[in-house]
Amino acid sequence: MRPFQYLKATNVAGALRAGRDASDDPSATAYLAGGTTLLDLMKLDVIGPTRLIDLRALASEHGTIRVDGDALRLGAFASMAAAADHPDVRERAPVIAQSLSLAASAQLRNMATLGGNVLQRTRCAYFRDPSWAACNKRRPGSGCAAVGGANRQHAVLGAGADCIAAYPGDFAQALIALDATVRLVGPEGARSIAFSDLHRDPKGAPHLETTLKPGEIVTEFVVPAARWARRSLYLKIRDRQSYEFAVTSAAVALDIEDGVVGEARIALGGVATRPWRATTAEETLRGAVLTEARAAEAGRAAFAGAVAQSHNAFKIELGRRTIVRALLAAAAMEVDHG
Amino acid sequence: MSFQPTSFQPATFRIDGETIDATPRPGQCLRTFLREQGRFGVKKGCDSGDCGACTVHLDGRPVHACLLPAHRAEGREVTTIEGLSCCGRLHPVQQRFLDAQAFQCGFCTPGMVMTAAALDPAQRARPDRLLKGNLCRCTGYRAIREAVQGEIPAAGSRDVQAPGGRGVVDGTARFTMDVAVERLSHIKVLQSPHASARIRRIDVAAAMAVPGVLAVLTHRDAPAACFSTARHENPLDDVDDTRVLDPVIRFAGQRVAAVVAETEAAAERARDLIAVDYEILPAVFDPEAAMAPGAPVIHDKPAAVSRIADPARNVAAEVHGGVGDVAAGFAEADAIHEGVYESQRVSHAQLETHGAVGWIRNGRLVIRTSSQTPFLTRDALARLYDLPPERVRVVCGRVGGGFGGKQEMLVEDLVALAVLRTGRPAKLELTRAEQFTMTTTRHPMKVRVKVGAKADGALTAIEMRIVADTGAYGNHAPGVLFHAAGEAVALYRCPNKKIDGWAVYTNQVPSGAFRGYGLSQTGFAVESAMDELARRLGMDPFAFRRRNVVVPGDPMVSLDAGPHDVEFGSYGLDQCLDRVERALAEDHRIGGAPAGRRPPVARAAGERPGPAPSGAAPVGEASAGATPPAVGGPGEGVSGERPAVGGAGEGAAGDWLVGRGMAVGMIDTIPPRGHVAHSRIALDGEHYLLTVGTAEFGAGTSTVHVQIAAQALGVSPDRIRLQQSDTDLGAHDTGAFGSTGTVVAGQATLRAAQALADALRRAAAERLGAAVEECVLGAGGVTDGRRTVRLSTLAGVSAEGRADGTPRSVAFNVQGFVVAVHRRYGTLKILRSVHAADAGFVVNPRQCRGQIEGGVAQAIGAALWEEVRLDGEGRVETPAFRGYRLPAMGDLPVTEVHFARTHDRLGPLGAKSMSESPFNPVAAALASAIRDATGLRMTATPFLADRIHAAMRARAAEPDFTQPDFRTEETDRERHPAGS
Ligand SMILES: Cc1cc2nc3c(=O)[nH]c(=O)nc-3n(C[C@H](O)[C@H](O)[C@H](O)COP(=O)(O)OP(=O)(O)OC[C@H]3O[C@@H](n4cnc5c(N)ncnc54)[C@H](O)[C@@H]3O)c2cc1C
Ligand code: SF4
Ligand code: FES
Ligand code: FES
Repeated sequence: MRPFQYLKATNVAGALRAGRDASDDPSATAYLAGGTTLLDLMKLDVIGPTRLIDLRALASEHGTIRVDGDALRLGAFASMAAAADHPDVRERAPVIAQSLSLAASAQLRNMATLGGNVLQRTRCAYFRDPSWAACNKRRPGSGCAAVGGANRQHAVLGAGADCIAAYPGDFAQALIALDATVRLVGPEGARSIAFSDLHRDPKGAPHLETTLKPGEIVTEFVVPAARWARRSLYLKIRDRQSYEFAVTSAAVALDIEDGVVGEARIALGGVATRPWRATTAEETLRGAVLTEARAAEAGRAAFAGAVAQSHNAFKIELGRRTIVRALLAAAAMEVDHG
Repeated sequence: MSFQPTSFQPATFRIDGETIDATPRPGQCLRTFLREQGRFGVKKGCDSGDCGACTVHLDGRPVHACLLPAHRAEGREVTTIEGLSCCGRLHPVQQRFLDAQAFQCGFCTPGMVMTAAALDPAQRARPDRLLKGNLCRCTGYRAIREAVQGEIPAAGSRDVQAPGGRGVVDGTARFTMDVAVERLSHIKVLQSPHASARIRRIDVAAAMAVPGVLAVLTHRDAPAACFSTARHENPLDDVDDTRVLDPVIRFAGQRVAAVVAETEAAAERARDLIAVDYEILPAVFDPEAAMAPGAPVIHDKPAAVSRIADPARNVAAEVHGGVGDVAAGFAEADAIHEGVYESQRVSHAQLETHGAVGWIRNGRLVIRTSSQTPFLTRDALARLYDLPPERVRVVCGRVGGGFGGKQEMLVEDLVALAVLRTGRPAKLELTRAEQFTMTTTRHPMKVRVKVGAKADGALTAIEMRIVADTGAYGNHAPGVLFHAAGEAVALYRCPNKKIDGWAVYTNQVPSGAFRGYGLSQTGFAVESAMDELARRLGMDPFAFRRRNVVVPGDPMVSLDAGPHDVEFGSYGLDQCLDRVERALAEDHRIGGAPAGRRPPVARAAGERPGPAPSGAAPVGEASAGATPPAVGGPGEGVSGERPAVGGAGEGAAGDWLVGRGMAVGMIDTIPPRGHVAHSRIALDGEHYLLTVGTAEFGAGTSTVHVQIAAQALGVSPDRIRLQQSDTDLGAHDTGAFGSTGTVVAGQATLRAAQALADALRRAAAERLGAAVEECVLGAGGVTDGRRTVRLSTLAGVSAEGRADGTPRSVAFNVQGFVVAVHRRYGTLKILRSVHAADAGFVVNPRQCRGQIEGGVAQAIGAALWEEVRLDGEGRVETPAFRGYRLPAMGDLPVTEVHFARTHDRLGPLGAKSMSESPFNPVAAALASAIRDATGLRMTATPFLADRIHAAMRARAAEPDFTQPDFRTEETDRERHPAGS
């Protein structure tokens, strides 16, 4: 790992100032939250910031989890463990708690923050190994070694010739399914965007993954109250039982009354280049009775536009089945709307 | 001020209750920082958050020290394993790990303990998910789970605790790298990006100019001599095809040059500045293609000097042999099965990577290394650098896992070169990525087997063709091939046998010695084939084995009819078959059970030597809810959502197809052609000092040595002090490999201890004027019944023992599985894993059971998930635990272990070896269970769920797939339908 300078911010204003002071080369400065993505990539020499601004102290301002009115507010600097174990989260949005508790390991969940989690980078093996010359995400314009290479783990949705890397995170699928918004502060002030607008398509510029402006800090996720949030779950299929990123996953949320689906939310992990909402699949369910056949139709709709690479065709079928199982399991949940 | 620059300023840390002022280097992680503060209990297994070996507490919560900047710990309470115990008393979790003997090599233990210590009682009851961030390669996790849950089975009288166990659990055990050496320099290796090339030019000027660089070593600095990295008693057993640094590159990852520098950072920086001009040469990656005419020749070396079997055809070693006439045998057969079975490239994945530290003291070269063979490595270094052997000393600390991978000299040669060149102490510790790209793997093999039998089940012919991929170098190629051609076939009584085998060079990471030593690959092939043949004959696999396996009196024949020095010193295969058959029969009811019926898996504890499964263990889970335990295949995230065996509404077994399978393994207890051990034991006050050559890397031989000596000398084990694995102490020892720790080294210890007992009795008899026969040696001294000569007055008496590893006996293993395969998802779950072993007299049942559980666990990993994948250009695509899927706690079933009751007339105290062999029957037993469940014969490991799924879908198109005569050869074509 290359040497770097380490600065501790004590509050948001200080962090922004530190970022600005060093901003001659924006890639030379990075914010440090839990460090579990950042340090890992620095050790692998994938990124080499020369200046780290430690944001840990921001946890006192933006590290709490609370219910505000009906909305769930998750501070960006809360640890994954804290959010996964929080009784309000488990009750009001089980899909969030599950997406977090099924991720990484106990140690990592203690270290990693929610904000860092949604911003984690892909696990594409070519991205993570700088000895490969071709990787548009790491070196814009250099090509993509995964197209035609080992791409069993890669995306079948949202991929183009520029980059086919799958977005690896779990929590983001829960957020996008529940229409969360993200609160940000930056040198130009605070703003709020839909979570679904945070990540970008890889097309053209796969090295740009988010719509964050230079120096912007994620401070909070706001999850609006909804009946379907309570009937929600996260189903994660992996190669091993434990400690593994998703091969496919589904975050689903349903509102069912008298057997009829009022509202359905489906987001997919492991199969797409960014957090992925399967809106056409959701539409096939609205107003319908959720039978296995109907769930299968939703699965087909979700993958209608899927494009397989040489090693990952199985993900399309597996992804469809993941949706079916997740929907049927959610429909069978006992939910207290109290 | 809103931020404080802290980069180069001293900071105050609280570490294990101590206040320390220190300045972490810019960019330093907490793990290396803590180790620099002397906290060597903080281990490194991956440096990337995958293994948990570095776990420490930060304000009481477990975190990975390798992913935390050291500055982060400023002002917070850091607790390491060494600070967990207090005032000489172990933390309760440490105590439980000690009581349960929940470790083998012990390298994962500090991290495991730290993670477990932070769990609350409710979490401890269900540790599988919570401990998934901690990997253990040795134990198979059963003992760890028991320690965490606090449900520790009572120790039996022979379950002596491992010497040094306290140090393992309190973090003070010193492994290879756990030494502070003054003026230490650091070595970093430049690896080749190309699979086949010649170095035209290396320019090291820019690298040398980096401040702190002491030397840049290239092939110009290395001895010209070729050697083999493989270590054997007789160096002529291996091919001499390797140089310390070679201008010819034969695999991507091969060493090109090495930088020696004052700091790791300087060494890394300089490494990046070495300019190499490569002439790219054609490469070959497939062994069959490599043998074909016109293939690039990988080792252009004379056969007579290098002992390479056929350099021009890239054949490192070959075997050909057999008995009888196989053509006639197949002509006689009523049923024949022929299939090709492939085993993939698997990594040892010892949690401690290869590494060595070297220095010069009093004009002698000292190398502290992670090795299974310190004496052989000493000899090899002396030969290579033309030093008298007495000028070289090789010592081992505790070794963090071996599994055969450390029966090689992979780093010591380079460390020695650096030390000899610079005169400075030097260290080379491989990273996990280097471990994957620069060391060795199991030999991938493609094995074609053809077997025929009469309608009554009697085998008429066995034919086997082995193609082993030895990679770029031939280390262990002859030995592994020879062994692969051995016991898997010798196990069967059959008049006609023919075996041909080739170990072939390719431009890929070298293969080497790995637990099982070739037998797991041919065992997968032969045992799968026997299962198919039995099916074809409509015979039960157990009955088929009983009809055909060798029994005392039969010759054991594979390549030739002998004579051999292998005998039936004892025979327990019949008992093993009976025991596993009985266990699987109990479970067979699962498949046909009416909906909701509880599988009868919870039995009385007394019925087997192992502990009864506890409520939260997978087996218990199966009995509680008719839900297949959470093991194997793509797991589901939502607990309780798993479809159940016998679940309502979907027919008897719902979507789960249940099947059972078994396989057998036989192994010679000692490798052929000599294995020597010496032990010395001396009376030392009230204690005995026992000196042995073998290192402790988790196989438990230290315990066995102590037990054997204690028993022979009539004292309790705590009166034996053990010193080991140092070429300056004790006489030559071949090393701990080939499962020889107990049967050879233990034999030497037994002989030494018996000789010492005799000497003590003689000395006392003389003093007492009594007859030697009347004198009895005990804990207090020697007594003739009336008077006693105290041991302390007999000081100075010592004795030696030697064993040379011949004649040899045979040991047996039978593995059985009950599995469930999901009809639609291809998910595989292991419902039950049963293993019966014939290990002769079991000196230490708890420890021996641990060896078996660990071996089965590794083999399950290799059969289901693990694969070192290479891309089309020979580069390793899986250089981290992230992509190389080692089983974690939640992935593995509890394996029930049963021992045959036998007593070997050749082994010490009646014991036989039992550390490699449990691995061997696992893949075939799983494949046969999958076959039983689905009708599909998986012919290539690993059986990833997507492969099973794709194979099932392909097969589903054919209506007759469950018919017993379904032709398995066809599955070969469809093996990788979903890609790799
Ligand atoms: C071995 C391993 C296994 C894992 N398994 C899983 C898994 O199964 N599922 C899963 O979802 N994840 C998994 N992860 C990923 C892990 O969850 C993420 O690394 C973690 O959540 C990142 O959080 P962090 O706080 O450590 O982020 P950091 O590493 O500190 O930061 C990540 C990035 O986000 C930026 N950043 C962080 N916080 C902010 C903020 N508030 N505002 C602006 N920028 C910010 C940083 O500058 C950096 O670029 C795994 C990671 C490892 C190492
Ligand atoms: S898939 Fe994306 S991240 Fe992976 S190599 Fe291609 S461009 Fe790089
Ligand atoms: S060394 Fe830190 S997790 Fe492996
Ligand atoms: S004892 Fe766990 S890795 Fe060796």
